[in-house]
Parts: sequence; structure tokens; C-alpha cells
Amino acid sequence: MNMFWENVTFDLLRYIKTMCIIWSPCFANYGLLFHKKSSHLIFRMWYAALIRFIRRRLVLGIIFASSLTYCIVSFLKEGNHRDVTYQDISIERKPFVWRTLQEHNDSNDHVICRNSVQGKNFLVDDRGYVCQRKDVTKNGCCDPEADFTERYSCESCSKSSCCVEYEHCVSCCLDPGKRHMLEIVLSKLSTEKSILFRSLTDDYELCLTKCRTSSYSVLHENSYKDPTHKHCFGDEPPGSHSGNKM
Amino acid sequence: MGFTHTILLSVMLYLPILLISSKEVREKNENCNTTESERVQYEFTTDVVKSQHIITFKGYYPRSTRENYVNAALTSAGITDWKIIKRNNPAKEYPSDFDVVVLENAGRKALEALQDHPAVRRVTAQRQVTRSIKYVKEDECGSGGCLYSGWRNYRGRGLHSLRKTRDNGYTSRKLLRTVPRQITSVLKADVLWSLGVTGEGIKVAVFDTGLARNHPHFGRIRERTDWTGEDTLDDALGHGTFVAGVIASKADCLGFAPDADLHIFRVFTDNQVSYTSWFLDAFNYAIMRKIDVLNLSIGGPDFMDHPFVDKVWELSANKVIMVSAIGNDGPLYGTLNNPADQMDVIGVGGIGFDDRIAKFSSRGMTTWELPQGYGRMKPDIVTYGSGVRGSSVNGGCKSLSGTSVASPVVAGAIALLASGVPRQNLTPASVKQALCSTALRLQGPNMFEQGHGKLDLISAYQFLRKYEPQATLSPNYIDLTECQYMWPYCTQPLYYSSQPTIANVTVINGLSVVGNVKEVSWHPHLPHGVLLSVSSDYSDVLWPWSGWLALSFTVREEGANFDGIIEGHVNVTIESHDDTGDRTIKNATLTLPIRARVIPVPVRSRRLLWDQFHSLRYPGGYFPRDDLRAKHDPLDWHADHIHTNFRDMYRRLREHGFYVEVMGTPLTCIDTSLYGALLLVDPEDEYFPEEMATLKKAVDAGLSLIVFADWYNASLLRHVKFYDENTRQWWIPETGGSNVPALNDLLSMYQVALGDRVFEGSFKLGGHPMYYASGTHIHSFPEHGVLITAPLNDQGQQIISGEKPGAANGKTEVTQPLQVPILGLLQTDGDIHDYSNDTVDKVPKSGRLVVYGDSSCLEGGTARNCHWLLLAALQYAIVGHVPPALKEAATPQEKRVRDVHIIPSELPRRAEGGRLHVYSRVLSPDGSGPRPIPECFSPTPLPSQPVHAAPSARTLAPRHQPTDPKSIGPPEIEGTEPAPRAWRGAGAAPSRVHPQSETTPTSLTNRAITLLAIVTAIYTVAQLWKRWGRRIRRRRIISLAT
Repeated sequence: MNMFWENVTFDLLRYIKTMCIIWSPCFANYGLLFHKKSSHLIFRMWYAALIRFIRRRLVLGIIFASSLTYCIVSFLKEGNHRDVTYQDISIERKPFVWRTLQEHNDSNDHVICRNSVQGKNFLVDDRGYVCQRKDVTKNGCCDPEADFTERYSCESCSKSSCCVEYEHCVSCCLDPGKRHMLEIVLSKLSTEKSILFRSLTDDYELCLTKCRTSSYSVLHENSYKDPTHKHCFGDEPPGSHSGNKM
Repeated sequence: MGFTHTILLSVMLYLPILLISSKEVREKNENCNTTESERVQYEFTTDVVKSQHIITFKGYYPRSTRENYVNAALTSAGITDWKIIKRNNPAKEYPSDFDVVVLENAGRKALEALQDHPAVRRVTAQRQVTRSIKYVKEDECGSGGCLYSGWRNYRGRGLHSLRKTRDNGYTSRKLLRTVPRQITSVLKADVLWSLGVTGEGIKVAVFDTGLARNHPHFGRIRERTDWTGEDTLDDALGHGTFVAGVIASKADCLGFAPDADLHIFRVFTDNQVSYTSWFLDAFNYAIMRKIDVLNLSIGGPDFMDHPFVDKVWELSANKVIMVSAIGNDGPLYGTLNNPADQMDVIGVGGIGFDDRIAKFSSRGMTTWELPQGYGRMKPDIVTYGSGVRGSSVNGGCKSLSGTSVASPVVAGAIALLASGVPRQNLTPASVKQALCSTALRLQGPNMFEQGHGKLDLISAYQFLRKYEPQATLSPNYIDLTECQYMWPYCTQPLYYSSQPTIANVTVINGLSVVGNVKEVSWHPHLPHGVLLSVSSDYSDVLWPWSGWLALSFTVREEGANFDGIIEGHVNVTIESHDDTGDRTIKNATLTLPIRARVIPVPVRSRRLLWDQFHSLRYPGGYFPRDDLRAKHDPLDWHADHIHTNFRDMYRRLREHGFYVEVMGTPLTCIDTSLYGALLLVDPEDEYFPEEMATLKKAVDAGLSLIVFADWYNASLLRHVKFYDENTRQWWIPETGGSNVPALNDLLSMYQVALGDRVFEGSFKLGGHPMYYASGTHIHSFPEHGVLITAPLNDQGQQIISGEKPGAANGKTEVTQPLQVPILGLLQTDGDIHDYSNDTVDKVPKSGRLVVYGDSSCLEGGTARNCHWLLLAALQYAIVGHVPPALKEAATPQEKRVRDVHIIPSELPRRAEGGRLHVYSRVLSPDGSGPRPIPECFSPTPLPSQPVHAAPSARTLAPRHQPTDPKSIGPPEIEGTEPAPRAWRGAGAAPSRVHPQSETTPTSLTNRAITLLAIVTAIYTVAQLWKRWGRRIRRRRIISLAT
């Protein structure tokens, strides 16, 4: 038994030494440090030993085995998230909900609206009301009684569902009558690998996102396909119909 | 099959190792010629000092002992003429191990004798080391050198190059610089960390080249998305990793906001390709994710990419704080990059740790407003962008430079201070106000270089903590007399009848995303203020969070002889609806102090008019550079303004007492009788027929005309087209270097024409070395004019015949240089008379014409400028006296070839099917010829409401006291309790544990170790099996035998 352990340690030592030589191109200086004196002779000796060592069937086998292990391990690692390269850290995703007209109409006093923060002149809330910025109430909703407030307004939109004003686009898009068309749009979008549309949760978000200018709006990567009617919620990209008013 | 597998896999096994070593080699080969990123280079030479030798002893001995040893060694060899150089330093009393010996004429013998002495270790020659510091051009990076220099595909957005700072440059001795400290501690971020402010809860988006999933420096990568269509999210270039590291690294080289939530948007491919459409979709996603701070270490010159520009505005309107790098195209002026030059974006320039503007940092005013208006001040602020340490792809740290670095410094700083202030205080406007109003002004650089100054994180934090919604102006005062900060305003005083001086002020409206300028009023300070007339123009709507306010200053007629300082102030009232839904209207009245110097009207001969109106440029159309060899940057995008790329020329003219005014309108709107000369330098546009008539009259009445033209050749235009990957279409130049056919139309009334051949070459003119970088030539010239020729090469021929223009200097063709007429001086007059012998006092009334064929030599950044030639031309144009330098060079009259066809050439024709009318201000867009001449616009001055006021302080700049880091308190927001911190590295650091986001650091070394372990394990197992198996077999045999 003793004999065996000695053998094992000897083998291990020899192995480590050999590894030193295998790796020595990487640590050239390290190697030189050890074999400063009469390095030539020692080098030849080690070289011969190395050749002999490498020729052994066992060593070849080990190289093969370890490569295979490495390969499998790395394949497993990569394979884990191969299918979700668009986005690897998943954010909890809610299912898409079509809000009903009743939900739109929910005229509870405690209702809190989401609105399209960005507008220069108008804002649109999640009930489909477009209003001037000054007519937004404290809860973020448009005041339905205000003079210029309109619901499901397609005022600046053309037949091809493209609008001049972003807010009109969103409002027009929220019209329950357009739901059928939006369903088609959504189904088309979800077949694409777009993370943008896969993370939508309801029709308001869909309309907000769909109406923004996007890769579908540009021509030659530095201009709009249609510089006026650039906000579209429909199926077709802008510029495919010229702007007949709805 | 199995065998091939083996080979393949064993190659794989060694691949990581190869990668490491090849990387090392590459880093060593990297020859940026920069030891410091500001491109200061230490030149390093050594010389052997004759007859001096250093003797190193084997131990430390007192001086006398050493002298004895040397004496013994040398006397034994019979050498007498030696001496030890006395070292007179504080160490002389202590034992030393070396001496320097002067051996006058003893050679080897003495050295051998010394070497043989038992106490001497070695003898070496004394060397003298000379180091000199010099600046090198940034272009000198070798092929494998600086990372990502320049934009790809010339236009479009590019990553701002990060320049690698060399850590281990020379193998021999070098000056050691102070080790770069953590950038976070330089900006005192650790003070905020110790208060528990660590960027927690702030969503920071990084639009870049991606980031590895398990990079050891990052703990809170919330999301990584790819928008390029490449099947990866990782960063192969290092740009994205570095940028993300500066923002949020929590190990080794620390980032500012280690607890911020990182959203990584990969919008650049490994080949640095990117498209506007990718950005649009990614930006939409950023809006939906409700990102707080968005860093764009990218940029390009195309501010007319409307989908992109609009989208950036949309992001700001959605309360996303946009931070972007101003560009790496310095030190030239007029090089600002989009989107950093947008008024809603925080544009960041770079400085070094010595507080000087980094040479690469882009600067100069924005150029959107030209020719009628004037550019706004950018960058907004500057911060460290040179030699900053940040994360590298393989898990370590590296030092890089570039405005790409400065931008995430600011983005990280914003994320950090945002987490320590109440949410409602955070808007793109409030943050910009906080950074700008607390920035520390640097001494020296002007406002178009440094903006408001250097980022002061602690003061900005203090400002934002106590923020009240407000509107501010940027710049917040206008002192047209203050040099250097108010360059170029301070270089030329105001006077009656001059073209208006325009200040472009940005209104930052923190009251709401939308606002209006309600009123602008001018309050001159008595007694002299009333002499100044101010008119204003401003954006209809201040959106998003910002707008512009242009103030133009002119002197009233009553001030024609006034000489002195004028003061006053402009009040601006901003009106905004309250965002909280109270339906209230908020008002803010801002005061903008104004000071100007007024002088009496200069004489006509000192006043020059610079034609800006006929200058067209990129973006919009493809207007090629004036130098055809500039292949790496083929677009003319520096605006050709006297305050951008013709800045050096402007300075030279001012030094010589000329007053230069910019003509931003057609010539018909100008009173030409006020000016001595009109400068037409590199014009690209056509001329209105009315303008030509006006010019004719003006020249007859004494206005001189100076033309610096450039190349134009229709077939060459087709030749220099290129396929632009960003717009996926062919780009054909709209004009040549300048629009020579249009110039010929203009000059035809003087029988002067420029030809269509393109020449290039170096020559000497009047003792000055000159370089003619792709210019035209004079095709015909009246006989009584003075004509000067130079030996030049036919560059057009070289390019068309297939030789690449870039290689033109390498392989010079055997063709003889031609004597090309390039400069013509002409006394214009109604009828052709010989005035060349006239003396100065008989100068005719009508103006003179000077034509030169190349304009690139007047631009900034050229090696051999021709400012002297412009001054000589002005001397002729204004006084009528041919300078001696030009007189000598002129072709004698008798040798002149008669009139046309001085050299065989054609008149250039306008390219067929050209699209110049699309971009022209003169041609109508339908291509049917010139449009009706626009009406001359004269701004209505604001009614002056004079006030009595004491003279203001010497400087109008509001004093801002930097906050003492010790004085700041912890944030008053719930949920952020200050916690004691102990962390490796500099200063305090975040301590919160986030179990779900803890990642195991993996790097190449780790992998190698794992691999080694596997190999060892398998080997051991195999050996075990071998031994045991033999034993078992033996036992079996034994048992069988028994």
C-alpha cells in the first residue's frame, strides 16, 4: 500500500513538472529563472522527456478527455440561454390584457390615469381622451369637460392610420372599434422577436408604443418616410398611403 | 471521425492560452505614441558619456574605502590619470555601492583591471539620458493603436474613441507619473457613499457595445438587450464594458453608482456598425422601461438626422436624463457631435487630471443656426476624460481616454446623486441646472471649450437636494468684454453699422416639460446703455425642458462715435403650466446681465465682410472636403465660419487690425459701401442674379473682392462618390471643394474664369512654403492683371487614372509638374486699361479682385497655412499696391500667354443631374432656377426701458462657492439609511447584499485553473485505475494459479 502512494506522489510530481514545461511558453521568464545554468543541456533532456511523455497513449487520452469535458461544459453553459439572446435577465412579465370599454369608462373619483407625459401641446390619457396640457387634472386624467378635450380623436390622422400628432394617434388607436385591427397588428408583432412588443401589458401601452416613430418610420436611416404623418398605429408603415383625412 | 475530433478539441483546449499571449503581444505592439492620453510624448534619448564609467561594488563601502579599491586596481595596472567624480549630495556621508570614474585615455586595460578587483561587481559606461516632452498629433496612432479612432463610414454615429493609456511603454527607464487614483475619489463620490447614497433604485441605461453577463465588476445588471440582430449580448470591443464600469463598477476600478440598476442596450455590432433605426427601437424600449439616466458615449456630425434628433427630444420629454459625449474631434473648432449638441442633452467634454481641456475634446459653437444665427454654447460641462481607469472586458482594469470616458463619469455621477435626492427634484432640467450652476470654471479655456466648467459632484448634490423648480439661462450672463471666457465676443468690439453680434442663450426650464417665453425686455443702464439696441428671438415653445433665446446686439446711430463700456440687463419671463395638475401657471423672471464694449466706427479699409450665406455643408448633402487626400474624413462639416474652422485666420486678421463681420444674408441686404473687401472663401452655393448686379455695382464703387476657390470637376465628382453604410445609399458630392461654375458666373464680368483641372503640390511663394491641397487653377485672366504660377501635379488626372489619392504622395508619377496659374490680382475697371504701373496715389476708384485656387490653407489644422497670402491679398485689395513678395513671383508680362488657355483646360460644367437645388438657399427646390430673392430681415429692437444702476462688478459671472464635502448631510428620503461601510479599495463603498444578483467572477485565469483541475483529476483517476487494475489482474492470476 505504501508503495502505491509513493508511486502516486511520484507520478503527480512528474506530472506537475511536465505541466510546467507544457506551459513554459506562457511563462518563458519563469522557466528561464529555474534553468539559468547549463540550461541548454537541461532543456534537451526535458525536451526528450516531453516528447516521450506526449507520445504516451495515456497522455493523448487525457488531452482528449479533458477537451471533451471542457467542450461539454461550455456547450451546456452557452446552451442555457441560447434561446433568449435578446434579453437574458427576465423581467417578470404580465400577460397582455385588452381593457374593456367599461374599464375605459371607469369614472370613479379615485381613478388614477396614466398619460403620455411627453406632449408638446397635448396629452392623452389611458381612457382615450386627448386634451391640452393645461386641462390635465391632479390624478393625471384629461378633464373630459374641458373645451378642447376629445375622446378617440383621429383629428390629424390619415386613412392609413398615420397621424401628425402623436397624441391623436394614441387616442385614435384606443378606439374600441379599432380593436380588431390592433389584434392583427399585435399578433404580427408578437411573431417577431421584438422584446419591445413582447413586454406590453395592455392596449394603452400597445398604442403608446406603436405610435412612436420607430425603425419602420425611417428612410435611408436619416429621414422619415413621411415627415408629416409619422405616428402610425396601423398595420402599414408610414408613407404607404398619402394623407387623406379620416 | 474520432481522431479529427481529438485534434479539433485539443486546439480548443489551447485556445484560451493563445488568446492571452496574443493579447499581451498586441498590447505591447500598440503604438499610440502616447505615454499620456493628452498626447504628451516623452522623447527619450541616451548617449554614452565618453571616458566616464560607473563602478559598482559588491557591497556598500564608505567613500575612502571605495577610493582605495579603485586606486589599488588602477595602480596595479599602471594607470595614473583617473579621478573619481565627487557626488555632492546628502547621501555622500553614507556608504555607497558605486562610483563614477573618469578615465582620460586609458582604454580596455583599465576597465579589465577594475573588473578583476575582488570588490567590484561590474563596470559600465556612464550614460546621459535626455528626456523631452512634446505634443504629438492624435492621428499618429498606428494601425493597431488607439481604439476606435474616428467614426466608421465617415458619417453616422460612431463610438467615441477611447484611447488607451500606455501603462508599460518603454522597456528602458521612463518617467513615472503618479498612479491614477480612483476617479470616484477624485470627484469625492466616496463622501456620498458614506452617507448611504450609492445609486440605489436609479435605472441607468448604457447604449453601447454590450456587456458580458458575468463580468466580476458588476452586481446589478438588470437587463441586457440586443438591438443589432447579432446573436450576442456580450461586448467584444471593450467600449461598453468600460463605460458601464465607470458608471457602476463595484470592484477594483470603482464606478460612481455601484448600486444603480444597469440596463444594457447593445446598439453597436462588433464591427461598430449602428443604424438610426436600431436606436429608435431601443430608445422606445428605454421610454417604456422608464429609464432615469441614459448614457450615450456615441455621436456623429449629423444633426439633421431628424428621426434621431426628434427621438432624443422625446426621451427628454419622458423625463429621461440624457448624457452624451461631445466628441473626439478636437482641437479643431466646429466639431461638436450630435446628440451632445442638443439643448436638452447634457453634453460632456473631457479634461485631464491637470484640469486642462483634453486635446481630443470637441469644441466650438453648435452650427445648426448658421448662417443667419449664431451657435449656442456647448459642451455643457467638462470632466475627467483622460487616463481614467475603468473595467476591461477580461475582468481587470485599464486606463482609457476620450469623451466616451467623460460622459459616463457624468452619467454615473448623476445616477449617484439622483439616488440621494427626492424623486420630484429629478428632471432633465433640474439635473442640468444642478450640474451647470455648480460647475467650477477653469481658468483659461473659453466657454465654447469648457461650457460651465468642471463637474463638482458634491455641490451639485447639495443644489439638487434643496432644489426648487426654476428656470435658468445658459450662459447666465453676457459679458462681451470678458476674455478668454467670452471668446470670441471679447475679440471684436461692437460699433455702429456692423452686422449684429448674436448671443444664443439656452433657456433651461425646470418648471415643466413645456413652457413659453412670455416676455423679453431690455433695460439699459444709464447713461450709456441706451446706445445699445437689443432685439430678441426665441423658440415658440420651450420643449422639452429647454429652448433657445437669441439676442442680437447692434449700436444705435447716436453711438457712432462712442468709445466705452455699455451695461444693461435683459429680463426674460418664462411661463409654464404646473405639472401637478393644479391648473396654475408658474412664472419665472430671469435677469441676464449684459456688458459690451463699443468703439467708434472703423474706417472702411479695415472692415471685411465674410460670406457665410453661400457656404453649404454637411449634414444634409454630401459636400466634400477641400482636400481630396482627406479620405478618412471626406465631409465638409466644420461650418466654414470664422469662429469654427477658420478661427486661426480670424485671429490673424484681428491681430492685423481688421474687423471681420459675418454676412448671413444675401449680398443685396448689405450696405457694401461700408466694407473694404468681401471674402468669398470656399463658397458652395449659387448666386442670385440680383446679388451679381449688386456686387458689380459695389465693386465699381470701391469694394474689393477676394476669392479663395477650390477644386471642381464633374467627372471627378462622380469618382469620389462612396457607398454610405449608414444610409445604405450612394453618396455623390453636390459640389466640388467649392462651386466653381457659380464662381465663374460671378467672375465672368471681369473676364476671369477658373478651370476644371485639379492640382496639388508643395511649392514656395514669396519665401513662404506653401501646400496646394486639391485646388483649381485660373483658366483665363485679363492681360493687364498680375498672374502667379506654381509648379503643381495634376491630382485630378492621378485620381481618375486609378491611382488612389491617398497613395498619391507615396508613388509619385513620372509626370512633370506643370506651371499652373493659381493666383491672380486684377484691378477691376469698367474698361480694360493697364493700371499695373500706377502708383498708389493714382489708384482708381473701383475695387480690385484677388483670386486664389485653394482654400484649405486658410482652414485650421493645416500644416502650412497661407494667412500671409490673405494678408498680402488684402494689402493689394485695399491699398492697390502689389506686395513685393508677390511682385517677384508674378509671371512677367511679356512671357504671358495671351488670355485664355493659359494651360490647356476646360471650364467646369455643373454636374448633370446634380441635386444641389435640394440643399441650396438660392436655387428653388424644384430645380427651376433661382428662387425669388428673400426679403431682408431687420430685427425689431426691444423697446429700451432704461434704469439707473451702479456699474457692475468687474466680473458678471455669479460667484458660486463650492460646497465643503464635510458640510453635507445625509439624504432625507425614506428607505435610504446611512450604513457603515467597509470595502476594499478606496474609501467607503456600498454594503447592501443583493443575494439574487451576486455573481461568481469568472475570467480566463479561472477557467484555466478549472481546466487544470479537471486534467489533474482525470490523470489521477487514470493512474489509479492503471495501478489498481494491474493489482486486481495480478490477484486474479494468482488466485487462478492457486
